[in-house]
Amino acid sequence: MTGLEADLEALVGADSILPAADGAEGATPPYTVRPKSAEALAEVLALADSRRLAVLVRGGGSKSGWGRAPSRCDLVIETTALNRLLEHEPGDLTCVAEAGLTLGGLQRLVGSAPGHHQQLMLDPPQGGGATLGGLVATAASGPLRARYGTPRDLLLGARFALADGTLARTGGKVVKNVAGYDLDKLLTGSQGTLAVIVEVALRLHPVAPATRWVVAEGLDPRTAQAALVALRRAPVVLSMAELLWPEGKMLVRLDGAVSACGEQAEIVRALLPGSRVAGESEAEELARMIEMRPWDGEGPVLGVSVPLTRIGELVTVAEAGGPVAQLSLRGTVGAGEVRLREGADLAQLTARVTALGGFLAWHRSPGRDAPPLRPEDPVAARLALAVKRALDPHLTLAPGRGPE
Amino acid sequence: MDRIPARLDQALLERFRQAVGCGWVLTDPDQLRTYECDGLTGWRAVPLAVVLPSRTEEVVQVVRICHENGIPFVARGSGTGLSGGALPVEDGIVIGLSRMREVLRLDPDNERVVVQPGVPNLEVSRVVAPFGYLYAPDPSSQRVCSIGGNVAENSGGAHCLKYGFTTNHVVAVTLVTPEGEVAHLGSAVPDSPGYDLLGVVVGSEGTLGIVTEVTLRVVPIPPRVQTLLAAFPSTDAAGEAVAQIIAAGVLPAAIEMMDRATIEAVEFAMHAGYPDCGAALLVELDGPASECQALFGQVVEICRSCGSSEVRVAEDEAQRALLWKGRRGAFSAMGRVSPDYYVQDGVVPRSQLARVLSGIRELEVRHGLKVANVFHAGDGNLHPLILYDRRSPEGPERAKRLAEDILSLCLEAGGSLTGEHGVGRDKVCQMPKLFSPRDQMVMHLVRRAFDPAGTANPGKVLPTPRLCGEHPGIYRPHPLERSGALQRL
Repeated sequence: MTGLEADLEALVGADSILPAADGAEGATPPYTVRPKSAEALAEVLALADSRRLAVLVRGGGSKSGWGRAPSRCDLVIETTALNRLLEHEPGDLTCVAEAGLTLGGLQRLVGSAPGHHQQLMLDPPQGGGATLGGLVATAASGPLRARYGTPRDLLLGARFALADGTLARTGGKVVKNVAGYDLDKLLTGSQGTLAVIVEVALRLHPVAPATRWVVAEGLDPRTAQAALVALRRAPVVLSMAELLWPEGKMLVRLDGAVSACGEQAEIVRALLPGSRVAGESEAEELARMIEMRPWDGEGPVLGVSVPLTRIGELVTVAEAGGPVAQLSLRGTVGAGEVRLREGADLAQLTARVTALGGFLAWHRSPGRDAPPLRPEDPVAARLALAVKRALDPHLTLAPGRGPE
Repeated sequence: MDRIPARLDQALLERFRQAVGCGWVLTDPDQLRTYECDGLTGWRAVPLAVVLPSRTEEVVQVVRICHENGIPFVARGSGTGLSGGALPVEDGIVIGLSRMREVLRLDPDNERVVVQPGVPNLEVSRVVAPFGYLYAPDPSSQRVCSIGGNVAENSGGAHCLKYGFTTNHVVAVTLVTPEGEVAHLGSAVPDSPGYDLLGVVVGSEGTLGIVTEVTLRVVPIPPRVQTLLAAFPSTDAAGEAVAQIIAAGVLPAAIEMMDRATIEAVEFAMHAGYPDCGAALLVELDGPASECQALFGQVVEICRSCGSSEVRVAEDEAQRALLWKGRRGAFSAMGRVSPDYYVQDGVVPRSQLARVLSGIRELEVRHGLKVANVFHAGDGNLHPLILYDRRSPEGPERAKRLAEDILSLCLEAGGSLTGEHGVGRDKVCQMPKLFSPRDQMVMHLVRRAFDPAGTANPGKVLPTPRLCGEHPGIYRPHPLERSGALQRL
């Protein structure tokens, strides 16, 4: 047993130290620790920081490829043992949970309150086993973003550990709050480079009593763009408007009161050329199709976003025979994912998306490393670096992944 | 924050004049006094000078001069803030942004508008209305308050229950850092790379720099709006109705509550035709007509089952305006029934509304002062108005203690220090009630990362030992408020 292992064992107990193979991401770390409390997690961090070890934080591991691989990794801290739902007051539509609770676990717990049917309205890719902390850290979202936004819009407060072991809180657990800096936003999407999130307060939404799907097929880029303009201005509330390419499909989901949902689906159908209201038996299949795309297939997957007015052009890039195998795009937001063909020219795609005024983000990139978390603007990059150095002066957390 | 004390000599004033033009540097004591406070009139300080730039480049030059000479600066929009966020510092300058009021770019097809910080909130909705859009955050001072101020305070409003706050509607800003550099944060397109520094700047109350250009997201004007006023025997019954509406999964655009004291004042002052009752709820639903109609029925049913004796439905825009008139004018109406009042801004979890309201009633009795309640009930954002007379020997002191006790009540219930007015100078010394020294230390670290020298709006948001021995003066109505042109909250 090495000195470090003995010290870790003294802090968290032997049963919280895992075999090394569990933490294989990029560099193989010698130890993976799974602390049972926020306090123990903070102590492990403080120990690592004082010894200038590099630490990678990990939740369910479903978004391991989303950030740049750290340049060093001596220790993986897994949050999955911090998995309790701490508070759920259905009347407030809020909850507080430990960061290692999985999304699937949370949905089961908050969904089972008697007399209330509530959910966290977040449907990120490979989401069921993803932890809440991981979802916040990666800012991951899915088609429901069209109506409910991203973790940025749903996170009310957080407790986190800085690299030196300081445990602190930001925000609160109420839906309206402007006390102090909104560090929730800073943690969201920081990919474990600023702090380790140990607890989150989240806004929930009621599950609507009725759901309808409208399916449009045979769209070309021009009709798709025109249909989206019409949809955005239509008197309807869309939960999803997923554009699927190169198939030329659009899947629209509406949720609402039983008496209203059907009427709204008819409005959507009338606006979408070649569309139909799907039967109830199809709902499950449509939901699954949306969930799998564009992940079930070989090739790198990237997040993509463009201005609303350039969606038609993005779709053209995703036509059959081009570099894109599949595109799933939130049509009313202008953001989604692309899966590239094997051997597709990434530089060419990057150039085209950049020319449209958009962005790409690495989600699954076998054999290729994601760029570091750094804004394009040089002064913003300097501020980001100043924040990183202020919160993690020894670059303990995922070194090389952040703006440094 | 420790700073080098600075004085303004003629050479520095000359540099400011070169930066913004001769007429735009104010040093006349009478003119300076116009800037001595914001909407929180109990705190006052006269700055050394007021500098009024007209472009980003001028702001950069002014801030650089401040940075090079250790001169603290306070950015100011329209000065309608209610927490003293724009309170000047006596050894510093005010950088007023009221000349920067141009709408720079309209891009309704991408649902974006780019404005300068001095543009009034309502102006944004006005310019996008012809395209079928509106700017959702609607603080009560929206005719006057500026977008820059909204960004600084992360302003809310009655309709943020459904639409979210300023932070959910600002997608990019140009920030002049406290060191005088220009940063572009965020992007008109979603998912720009890097940390969400924009999210930290929104609501940072002018302590992380000065925003000189703001890209806003606008939303389609809802196809249908339905408004009702429900009369209840008590605030408990009305509070229960709010809890049930939220718990039933109905998300109204706004739910506002007024208690008997407020209703009486409103009736006395403006004859809005409100019913004689213990509490009233103003509920507004918007969205597709079919959805509105379905939810409207549900709301009416909940109100009745919670003891509402009367439900009035606005049949047209004129009736809707009348229902809102009473609510929007509630604060100025209060001036007719009480010589002075202090507005508290606290938040409670929505399920705790009834309990906290009855706690406030107990506090009224204990302190021997009346409290009128008019607030954003849907998101638990209370605005108790503590009525007092500053001429009575203990009036102001008792009002202050009562206000603090109400805030403690909110925090005990799991709420927050402020829902939309901000911490500013007013609540800086109460921050430790909500945030531990460690929590505050992390905020200090972030502040220093943006502003190593501590020149941007010092003394606001985060407490320091030096700050928290002083006491504010008593509330004095702002002239705009006295005239009825401006409502607080």
